[in-house]
Amino acid sequence: MFRTILNKLNPVELTCGFHTTACLNEVRLLTRLRVVDNSEIGMRAMAEGKPPKVICVYNKQRVGFIGDRVMVAIKGQKKKGILVGLKQTQKVKVPKFDSNNIVLIDDNGTPLGTRIHVPIPTILRTILKEKTHSKGADYTKLLAIATKFV
Amino acid sequence: MAVTLRKSTELFTVAKWLTRRDCRTLSSLPEKAKLASLEVTEKAETSRRRPKKVNPLLENRHAYPEFLPDPNPKWRNSLREKLERADMLKRRNQIDIPEFYVGSILAVTIADPHSQGKTNRFVGICIERKGCGLRAEFTLRNVVDHQGVEVRYDLYDPTIHKIQVLRVEKRLDDKLFYLRDALPEYSTFSFDMDPEILPEGTPVPINPVKVELKPKPWLERWERQELQGISNIEQYLTKKDKVRRELRKTPWEKYDLMKQYRKTIPIEEQTDIWSEVNSQLQQLQLARKKSTRKRTFSAPKTQLG
Amino acid sequence: MFPNSLKLLWGALQKSRFDNAACNIRGASRQPRFRPPYWYVPKERVWTDDYLTKENKQFLEEVIKDKLEAQTALEKKALTSPILNDVKKNVTWTPQTKRVGLIARKIGNYPLWCKDGKKVSTTLLQVVDNHVIKYIPPEEYKPMIKSNVKWVEKQKYGCILVGAENIDPSVVTKDYCGIFDSVGMLPKRHLCRFVVSPESALPNGTPLYATHFRVGDCIDIRSKTMDRGFQGVMKRWGFKGMPASHGVTKTHRRPGNIGSGGEKARVWPGTKMPGHMGNRWRTLRGVKILRIDTKYNVIWTLGVAIPGETGAMCYLFDTVLPLKRNKTAPPFPTQPFMNDVPKEYFEDTIHPFDEPTISYYEEI
Repeated sequence: MFRTILNKLNPVELTCGFHTTACLNEVRLLTRLRVVDNSEIGMRAMAEGKPPKVICVYNKQRVGFIGDRVMVAIKGQKKKGILVGLKQTQKVKVPKFDSNNIVLIDDNGTPLGTRIHVPIPTILRTILKEKTHSKGADYTKLLAIATKFV
Repeated sequence: MAVTLRKSTELFTVAKWLTRRDCRTLSSLPEKAKLASLEVTEKAETSRRRPKKVNPLLENRHAYPEFLPDPNPKWRNSLREKLERADMLKRRNQIDIPEFYVGSILAVTIADPHSQGKTNRFVGICIERKGCGLRAEFTLRNVVDHQGVEVRYDLYDPTIHKIQVLRVEKRLDDKLFYLRDALPEYSTFSFDMDPEILPEGTPVPINPVKVELKPKPWLERWERQELQGISNIEQYLTKKDKVRRELRKTPWEKYDLMKQYRKTIPIEEQTDIWSEVNSQLQQLQLARKKSTRKRTFSAPKTQLG
Repeated sequence: MFPNSLKLLWGALQKSRFDNAACNIRGASRQPRFRPPYWYVPKERVWTDDYLTKENKQFLEEVIKDKLEAQTALEKKALTSPILNDVKKNVTWTPQTKRVGLIARKIGNYPLWCKDGKKVSTTLLQVVDNHVIKYIPPEEYKPMIKSNVKWVEKQKYGCILVGAENIDPSVVTKDYCGIFDSVGMLPKRHLCRFVVSPESALPNGTPLYATHFRVGDCIDIRSKTMDRGFQGVMKRWGFKGMPASHGVTKTHRRPGNIGSGGEKARVWPGTKMPGHMGNRWRTLRGVKILRIDTKYNVIWTLGVAIPGETGAMCYLFDTVLPLKRNKTAPPFPTQPFMNDVPKEYFEDTIHPFDEPTISYYEEI
């Protein structure tokens, strides 16, 4: 499974004649994601061809949906991130992306980078506002560094 | 007894259907574009000898495919279909839902409670149309900031403010899912694209562009789907793929008349449906033409100002 | 004189003997366990090739025409009856009152949109020629005895027979026709009884319309589920089955163990097993009405879980769920026909298709 996911992400380097069944495109344990902000660690991981791996999805279903918090293993470190775009089939009027996108955050919800260079679904505004509680982490800071909404 | 009766009636209808000369044009599915273009050329050649009668009512099925109900007999009911069509026309009276095809470029403006201005505009190429009646949907695809984005819309959703056709054209296939595996420039469209207005009376052009696929792995096995719009698929195929493709081919399916018959709505029912909605659709078309004319006249003024 | 008295004696003897015999067999004179009501008569006629002459056929048509006229007269009479038209009614609706229901046909599903832009799926139910056939008051209404449950409400409720969809009288049996003939109606394809309170009695031949219910009300829908035939446990009860591989042979979709040993070394009653699935009467309770079309008598209900396929018959009646019951008085005993009703009723949250597009505004 690990190998096939790698194949999906880096088609050029690691192509082999290995057949798999049609994937559900779910974000679950050990899924490889794409970091879309300009945090240093994320940029470096993507440039080296070692995209982060999901090691925990913080919800009941253990399948990541849009706006969910995940823990990823990136460059030998544990970091938290928020899913900002999914490959999975979405509801009507919610955009579906070609890759599973993530923005890295710290424990307070402050993003590690200063800019997100891909579009972000507008529904994330409502979802993140709902997830932010007055005493907990403030996830809406992520919206401030987004460049474009679709 | 009942079964035999049903069979006999079915056989009878099939026989009736067989006797008609041009079977394939009855299909409610969008035709294969290549075949259509071939037909056009053929028509031009043979038009002198035998002018073909084309029922203008039936031509609606390409522009408004969602008016035809699902052919599954388990779900058919004449009254429900009638009510559904009435509701669709009511919605069409409220906003202008233009004629578009898979491969056309659309700009959709929706009321979005999540966005800041409470409206949201998306531009993209229509890669799929599906569903009948009020359930009709279409999917738009675009590449924004090097990131492929797809959005699905309900055609009769009352939160849609405007559907604008930026370019009307057809592609060589009736589903363009292969754009997901193609190079990004084939599905990149700028958001501030100007609408291209075709002169009146011209047939919808078919864009003969053939896309280039990225190397494997792909989302689907495109080589097995007999797609016209891919140029470089052969170079990525292994010997095994080619063998498999040959094995999986179903060339007899086009002769499976029963299958074709079950996929389509019989011509009698189609004429009933179209004669019911045609006058209103015509009026809507006229209204649209008037408004586009106004727009074209007003456009230079704004430029001058 | 003599033979006459002898006869009487003989008769008395016979009577006593029969009574004794009955006592011996049953112990006491009890009602039979299963006693279907009188309107449960065979409906389908055995089809015979009646070679009718032209005159006979004409005669039959004339008879049907006359009966139809009689039926319309009955309808008119029912519509002008004081029960429906009395402005200050002597009977009023209370939450305990049971009203009559409707017979409808499920004709399909399609989505509607709420005013906040949400999409909801709905089921369409068409009410076709519903007429009250007969009202049976509580004294005469003796429902079927079922198991050991005593009929508590015996004295309280009567019942109303409702028929739907006119059919040709020559295709049904004489007995079935007789039920309708006795009240001056033509036979209907579907006949159903609704238990009602005596206040909601209706005259024979009253037509019932979709406006019998209001939009926003909740109803119960009873109909037969889809017939799925003989099914295994995985489909019928949702069992997991067994693994597809890892050495499993010949047991992939089977139930596995069906009981334990020891004292319980038998199959316990009620064990979930393969068998016939579907084609049972089921009631879906508390379904909201979103839209009503008065011209075609169509009701749009929320959700797609109404039992049965497209074209199935459903019985609709006021819900019995305590929280979803009618709070205010519905049309009581029913909504009579009116000429100047709006073509469609919409629930408050539903967006009619001929209204302008929905837009959202910033909260200030």
